[in-house]
Amino acid sequence: MSTPTTLRLAAAVLATAALSGCAGSQEDDVGRVAGAFEDPAAAPADRCALLAPSTLETLESDESAPCVDVIGQVPLPGGAVAAVEVWGGDAQVRLGGDTVFLTETPTGWRVTAAACEPRGELPYDCQVEGP
Amino acid sequence: MTAPRYGSIRANALSLAFGGLFLVTLVGQAIAGTADHNARQVANGLPTVSLLDYVTSSSFGVDVMENWQSEYLQFFLYVFATVWLVQRGSSESKEPGKEGTESDREQQVGPHADGESPTWARTGGWRTALFSRSLGLLMGVLFLLTWAASSVAGWAAYNSEQLGQRQDPVSWVGYLGEADFWNRSFQNWQSEMLAVGSMAIFAVYLRQRGSPESKPVGAAHADTGQTG
Repeated sequence: MSTPTTLRLAAAVLATAALSGCAGSQEDDVGRVAGAFEDPAAAPADRCALLAPSTLETLESDESAPCVDVIGQVPLPGGAVAAVEVWGGDAQVRLGGDTVFLTETPTGWRVTAAACEPRGELPYDCQVEGP
Repeated sequence: MTAPRYGSIRANALSLAFGGLFLVTLVGQAIAGTADHNARQVANGLPTVSLLDYVTSSSFGVDVMENWQSEYLQFFLYVFATVWLVQRGSSESKEPGKEGTESDREQQVGPHADGESPTWARTGGWRTALFSRSLGLLMGVLFLLTWAASSVAGWAAYNSEQLGQRQDPVSWVGYLGEADFWNRSFQNWQSEMLAVGSMAIFAVYLRQRGSPESKPVGAAHADTGQTG
């Protein structure tokens, strides 16, 4: 095998490994944020800090109350992370008892929707969601 | 008439000009695309992205690839269709009666090749057979590669949109059955077929003085295959 071919193969393997590493790391981050948000022991302030700004704004506007006062009333069954899908700046995490949607922000992954029920071809019906 | 002695830039002016225009317009698409994407992000209360983030995104990828694949499909079909189909009076067509791959003498292959013919036109066998179809084959291969790339980038962009709308993502095979994939493909294909078909017929009745894409201005409408 010629040296240029070997180099090209090595570059391809490294690129694949790097991309796989990125994807794996992103999935870990997304799963960690979703798990922390749905953790039954999480403090309301910690949960609210994990909401995407537009979702936080919508929740407080709809409830006419600060997030920390109302987030506890939302049923968040949580559970173990069963599956993570990351596509571009959007993600979905299936937990044992809930499905959570997230978006990537400059400060990390944040929850855009939670307490979601599937509705077939229609969008999930979520009790917490942004605009 | 002896060809003038041009430097390499002037001798390749057409390729260089379009290569440059391609780069300029690709940059234009990247800038306008970033602005458009960020306008929608702001409207949805989501963070904006940088130019680098956008040009490495599936959204930009599918927008580029869906156009490339249709251009290569157009040339692939046109190169092969013009072997067998004629348009009387069009500079885009050969003379009626010359349909087909023509004789070795007309095509200057094998024993009919001259000293300046490419080596693979002279050698015969599979090399000449392959070289004789290399232009159309390359266009066909580029079409398949860019269409495949378009399907992968489109799949990623579609799934990102699905998640943004709180819907489940789909598999790649599932995406090939989605209306989004076929809508993107057909909307590009139809425009290419329109452009090629209209060029073939407009070239019968209209002229562009000095352009090899046109007949000479004084050529009859019925004259076929002339360029001026």
